[in-house]
Amino acid sequence: MNRRRQTLIGVSLVLAPFLTLPAAGQTPEELRDDVLALTGPGTEGRAVGTPGAAAARRYLVSELEAAGARPLPGQDGLGIPFRFISGVEDRGSSLRAGGHKRFGSDQVRAFAFSETGEVRGELYFVGYGIRVPENAGVSYDSYAGHEVRDKVVVVLRHFPDGVEDETRSVLNRHADFRSKASAARDQGAAGMVMVTGPGSEGAGELAPDGFDISAPGSQGILAVSIDGAAGDRLFAGTGVSLAEVQRSLDAGEVDAGSFPLPGFATLAVDLERTPASGANVVGILPAADGSLDPPYVAVGAHYDHLGMGGGGSLNPHGPPAVHPGADDNASGTAAVLALARTVADSPLARPVLVGFWSGEESGLLGSRAFIRNDIRPDQLAAYINLDMVGRLEENRLTVQAMGSSSVWPGIVERANVPGGFDLALSDDPYLPTDSSAFNSESVPTLNLFTGTHTDYHRPSDTADKLNYEGLARIARFTGLVARRVAESDPVPEFVQVERAPETATSRVSLRAYTGTIPEYATEIEGLLLGGVMAGGPAETAGLRKGDVIVEFAGTPVLNIYDYMNALEAARIGEPLTVVFLRDGERHEVTLVPTARP
Amino acid sequence: MFQSLRRVSGRLVFVLPIALGGGLTAPVFAGQGAEDESRFLSRIRRLTVEGRRAGEGYFSPDGKEMVFQSEREPGNPFFQIYLLSMETGDVRRVSPGQGKTTCAFISAKNGDILFASTHLDPRSLELQREEIEFRESGQERRYEWDYDSHMDVFVERRSDGELVRLTDARGYDAEGSWSPDGEWIVFTSMRGMFEGELSERETRLAEIDPSYFGEIWTMRADGSEQRRLTHVPGYDGGPFYFPDGSRIIWRRFSEDGLVADVWSMNPDGSDQRPLTDFGAMSWAPYVHPSLEYVLFASNKLGFSNFEVYLVDVAGEKEPVRITTTDGFDGLPVPTPDGTGLAWTSTRHGGEGGQIYLADWDHEAALAALRSAPSRNEPTETPQ
Repeated sequence: MNRRRQTLIGVSLVLAPFLTLPAAGQTPEELRDDVLALTGPGTEGRAVGTPGAAAARRYLVSELEAAGARPLPGQDGLGIPFRFISGVEDRGSSLRAGGHKRFGSDQVRAFAFSETGEVRGELYFVGYGIRVPENAGVSYDSYAGHEVRDKVVVVLRHFPDGVEDETRSVLNRHADFRSKASAARDQGAAGMVMVTGPGSEGAGELAPDGFDISAPGSQGILAVSIDGAAGDRLFAGTGVSLAEVQRSLDAGEVDAGSFPLPGFATLAVDLERTPASGANVVGILPAADGSLDPPYVAVGAHYDHLGMGGGGSLNPHGPPAVHPGADDNASGTAAVLALARTVADSPLARPVLVGFWSGEESGLLGSRAFIRNDIRPDQLAAYINLDMVGRLEENRLTVQAMGSSSVWPGIVERANVPGGFDLALSDDPYLPTDSSAFNSESVPTLNLFTGTHTDYHRPSDTADKLNYEGLARIARFTGLVARRVAESDPVPEFVQVERAPETATSRVSLRAYTGTIPEYATEIEGLLLGGVMAGGPAETAGLRKGDVIVEFAGTPVLNIYDYMNALEAARIGEPLTVVFLRDGERHEVTLVPTARP
Repeated sequence: MFQSLRRVSGRLVFVLPIALGGGLTAPVFAGQGAEDESRFLSRIRRLTVEGRRAGEGYFSPDGKEMVFQSEREPGNPFFQIYLLSMETGDVRRVSPGQGKTTCAFISAKNGDILFASTHLDPRSLELQREEIEFRESGQERRYEWDYDSHMDVFVERRSDGELVRLTDARGYDAEGSWSPDGEWIVFTSMRGMFEGELSERETRLAEIDPSYFGEIWTMRADGSEQRRLTHVPGYDGGPFYFPDGSRIIWRRFSEDGLVADVWSMNPDGSDQRPLTDFGAMSWAPYVHPSLEYVLFASNKLGFSNFEVYLVDVAGEKEPVRITTTDGFDGLPVPTPDGTGLAWTSTRHGGEGGQIYLADWDHEAALAALRSAPSRNEPTETPQ
């Protein structure tokens, strides 16, 4: 008998039962009002850094203040700004090859990841400019047998046509702009000039600048594309035309297309990265005992969307139109707002941090900035994210990132008894939404989602299509989860879930495992480790969270793209050298990849 | 393979491992012409999440509590019994936490919770460790209930929280449930394999298949007046009283264990009659509070494709299929007011069953029964 009573007490320490349920919460009508305000006139699709987003932000700040939310300690108000690079401007790049071949900005476009500056060197054509790592299953090296140190390489865009499907998929992975720039850089080239060959789609066109808002940094080499006319001129005097060379390359003759071009080149790039700012909205609701001290139970949603369309739109060819983003993510924003009001009326055992993030659609800009700059991860007991929760159908609610803490199954079960959803559960915390930013910093996360639909990222994602009754139920369910988290003592433990191999690197990942957890989208030169898998090769080698890998298996690593390519050289059981920075000091360790556990 | 599959304990959660392989787990829907389950079930929600598997959820008479079994106790790989508040979602463990338990039920008289447990077996902790080691070794075995001879029926008295032992016979005593007035308990006992002289065949069966000795027994709420109701060779188990106490429903395996059917009888064991004759494994019956029909599980559609069915309480019509979703669906239990249905399912794709709850359309069930074709006259068999 005694044993049983003792264990019951043990259970209650983990999940203290509560006898009172929170107030019923917001009504569907109130949630609709919030969604209408967030998608209404003046919000213009709430794109990060625009007046539309600012209008939405003002609404959120005033509603949160009305609910009694306080600024995060150390902040002046509920709005917390963050900076990002919104784009790059090519202020006039040029290529000169010999005295009479001069190409200006109408024929030369800098890649967004180019260095700025001027280099001089001999011109050297290296075919498609592709280097496939040794054991990727396909042998292809445009540089084999050619010395390009300090030269300006000229490469074709895309990859050889007419190769077998399997070869194709491998080449394709190493044919993106950044991979080609890295290959040129690693060969010691001074610059890279890319031309779209006459045999390729978009023949002769300048390549897009390849701007990636979540990784706007430089690839460490001057890199431009030129138009077809300029390309043809570079081949003048060689006795062959670009078209002929491309035909040979497409027929599979790798060696047919690497040779010096006449003339001494001067490549100049003048690129300006455009600084911009957005702002998150963060408020603290006091605990039942009035405490404002962490750890906080964090609940959040991104409030930004795609504005008038642009890159993220699935309606890219339509005229610019307001993308209201009612489901994505006015729905989650309204539900979190509803939860905030309910918590203000009946506070929880811990203070609640409410976060509305901006820049999510551009690559988690706001949430990443917040977790890095504005709070310590250990101040958060857990983070619950709502992203696209307005389309409840057939009572089916998806709850993701269940693997990020051992408390989730018990908490979700208990919350769902009154919640009453047909739950679809998944463990994976690596999600294309803000919860990932928190998972990277070892905060237990949960993400709620009612599924995608044909209006996703289109102007037709409108407020009239939401299930407001379902949204109100989800807000209430979130409140029940938050309440259980608030009553968890100690705070939920974080569980590091192993990242499933991504499609693009799955073949590689299945072969060799390093146990590194790359941090995406950083400004740091090198590869910042967000963590290492317990017991994995990286940990065994002595690497840890915060280390910055700058060289992997002899390949320089400037960013995540370089790292992904370098990983392909890793072989199971074969030691390789990792050079990394820790506290600014350079270290070197030997890492032995294993088979994926 | 079949030998182990047929080891379906009375009301036990019967889980089909994904590792079954082959085509066996594929639902056999082709040509069945099944209508969608939304005809009967709406607002489906998942009740249990924590732990490897859960099942056998039974409601208190007011519907405010559900008692169930789940493999979720840290350090114990076996089922323990938990009580869930349907109002708040709070959960507490009822059973001692040690050993194996199964088949709980809440008394309508005083809320006392009965269940079966092996916690008094001196080897119970050792068996827990062995099972954990086995699972950690990465080996898989088909889910199998072992009819542990140390299983006895216990009651948690709600008045003072004391645990009271009701049976002490050598052999498996489990699968118990209360009469509606809380005065009687009907249960399954395999004590016969330890009593009297066994024939050579019975001795062999006792080793490979103790369930052969399963018979239906009744006793008073205090454990007195234990009395055997069935005497037919083969596993009788999973008994429940009708909601008005007028009869007992249970499932009976054929002597060779290959076929099971749903039967009913009077509380004194008289008038035993079958309600189904699928020639398949039909088990886990429970009578709807309206007394109009019985819900049960059957693999009529294929070796490992269990679905929930209903049949009229007299067994005069052909059973009607209820669930139509991939995965195991079984152990149906209506809510006390008859407007809901709880059952155990692997529809989420997990490795173990979990308990689901849905709104139940009683009128649709009656209409389906009315239009169901008649079945051959049920045959009476000697007791």
